[in-house]
Amino acid sequence: MSTLLTVISVNDGKIKRSSLEVLSRCNELASNNGMKSAALVIDSKASEIAEQLKNYGPDEIYTIENPIFKNHLNTPVLKALSTAVSQINPKVVAFPSTESSKDVLGALAANQQTAALSDMSEFDLTDNGVKGKRPVMASKIISSVEASGSPVIISVRSGSYDVVEKESNANIEAIDFNFSDEELQITLKEIISSSSDRVDLSEAEVVVAAGRGVKDEEGRNLISELASVLNAGIGASRALTEAGDYDPSLQIGQTGKVVSPQLYIGVAISGAIQHVAGMANSKVIVAINKDPDAPIFDIADYGLVGDLYKILPPFIEELKKIKQN
Amino acid sequence: MKFYVCIKQVPDVNAPLQIKDGQLIQDADRNILNAYDASAVEEALVLAEKHSGEVEVVLAGPEKAKETLRKALAMGADKGTHIVTNGDEDFDSYAYAKILSKFFSDKEYDFISCGKQSQDTDAGLTGSMLAEMLNLPYATNAVGLEFSDGKMTVKRQGDSGQEMIEVPAPGLVTCSNDMNDPRIPSLKGIMQSKRKPVDTIALNDLGAEISSDDVQTKVLGFEEKPEREPGKKYEGEPDEIARQVAQLLDSEENVI
Ligand SMILES: Cc1cc2nc3c(=O)[nH]c(=O)nc-3n(C[C@H](O)[C@H](O)[C@H](O)COP(=O)(O)OP(=O)(O)OC[C@H]3O[C@@H](n4cnc5c(N)ncnc54)[C@H](O)[C@@H]3O)c2cc1C
Repeated sequence: MSTLLTVISVNDGKIKRSSLEVLSRCNELASNNGMKSAALVIDSKASEIAEQLKNYGPDEIYTIENPIFKNHLNTPVLKALSTAVSQINPKVVAFPSTESSKDVLGALAANQQTAALSDMSEFDLTDNGVKGKRPVMASKIISSVEASGSPVIISVRSGSYDVVEKESNANIEAIDFNFSDEELQITLKEIISSSSDRVDLSEAEVVVAAGRGVKDEEGRNLISELASVLNAGIGASRALTEAGDYDPSLQIGQTGKVVSPQLYIGVAISGAIQHVAGMANSKVIVAINKDPDAPIFDIADYGLVGDLYKILPPFIEELKKIKQN
Repeated sequence: MKFYVCIKQVPDVNAPLQIKDGQLIQDADRNILNAYDASAVEEALVLAEKHSGEVEVVLAGPEKAKETLRKALAMGADKGTHIVTNGDEDFDSYAYAKILSKFFSDKEYDFISCGKQSQDTDAGLTGSMLAEMLNLPYATNAVGLEFSDGKMTVKRQGDSGQEMIEVPAPGLVTCSNDMNDPRIPSLKGIMQSKRKPVDTIALNDLGAEISSDDVQTKVLGFEEKPEREPGKKYEGEPDEIARQVAQLLDSEENVI
């Protein structure tokens, strides 16, 4: 029976929602096409993660556990992936589109001499591969794409599918894997900054994003306060990550993260296409900008025209009241 | 040190776009050097200046793409190679990686770098494909580069922080555009670029014929993204509009 394999992305011992979205879609496709849906966990604590996965309906769970996976390094991850792919021989290998998967997707395709489609917003099976859609030209346009190969390797944008919970009594199988330090082609010296203690942006239900107009401590405090009232993830435009005001991992856009929250609030962001590429799929968009002609207003459901320093304090106050009731 | 930078000509994503019968219609005169590649060129030039090295740019593309190669030379690259492809509209990342790997198979270098993705397709696959084909250690999504003792220290943007990765030479890095502002060629640079050496290689002479087996992904067509309807603009007293919208987010949208 053909297998659809979802590679699960884990952050600090927690399964990323985006990988459950991909798994849910693969479960659906597998059951519609008489195939098997399998999940693969490559992690230093893979077996613990595997247990949690039983709530999301895979037919089979594979683990590759090794201390080397505590931090992301492409050499061992690539070896683990190619070992798993050779053993499982899936028809499709599907990843959530994260920085870690972007790091290895192409190399895995070259290693397996097969096709890859990255950052898809929709995918389906064909007789000998995958077809679907992916945004191009800074997400201004949608292209229809198709790939044949065995397997076809894909990555899927966060927010493209809903997570469906489903009990399963999947068998958990550990894949043999050895890795010696001599094989390590690259070395990790240090992880400089980490935003892991904050709400994970690409997973957040509410996102508050700061743009160039947030220009001082007072502005950044207002952003934090707004985010904390809404239990939101904080993001930023490139203008601010480049200036060093916000951690680069918080950048939203073509270069940064793709977010798909229920509510996105863009504060003093102009709405350049490269930023919009990362947030246009938000369900409700609120924009606060003092320029009534800012392009962000063309896509905002609620456009507040005015100075953020005057609008945010009463906005926060009102939200607090609503939350209290 | 010897640096190769792979560059690509792409349509300007800021130019007006139109779709006709599922095909993308674009102003053919608005082709540019991929912004991520421009950052890779900039970074290579800075490192080469510091370590008295040499920067060579390589571009695979049709005849017309030569102007983009010239742009990189005008920025300051020492030499260029143009691998001339004909009718490569259908080439995918794998095909380009294969062409480039053929080119590099008999070259010596410390580092190859390229943009982390191209602005038009945003696929982001070619760099790591090329590294794997050449069996090179690599790092992607670099936001900072330092070179010393035959090693590149790459600051790369990971999922939850910046990772400092050491990549030994020969190796490959892909660059984000978040680490520099690529220099704009000076008039002098543009004049000089005309005298700089450019090798032109036909795809066939490279021995990298691309067959249909190498192009495993196909673009079937394009469609407009469903436009978001602009919503309502609230102008007036900050106090008033702020409260009003906060309430609507609760009562109408149910997202609070
Ligand atoms: C290849 C490439 C990739 C890129 N990738 C990304 C990306 O991933 N993410 C990204 O964000 N950008 C990206 N960019 C940059 C992008 O083009 C824009 O430059 C950037 O998004 C602008 O950020 P901004 O909206 O904060 O700043 P600006 O464009 O300067 O806008 C600031 C806005 O704030 C408003 N404002 C100022 N003060 C106030 C105030 N007191 N109250 C209210 N409003 C105020 C102004 O009216 C203005 O509209 C990329 C660019 C390139 C070329």
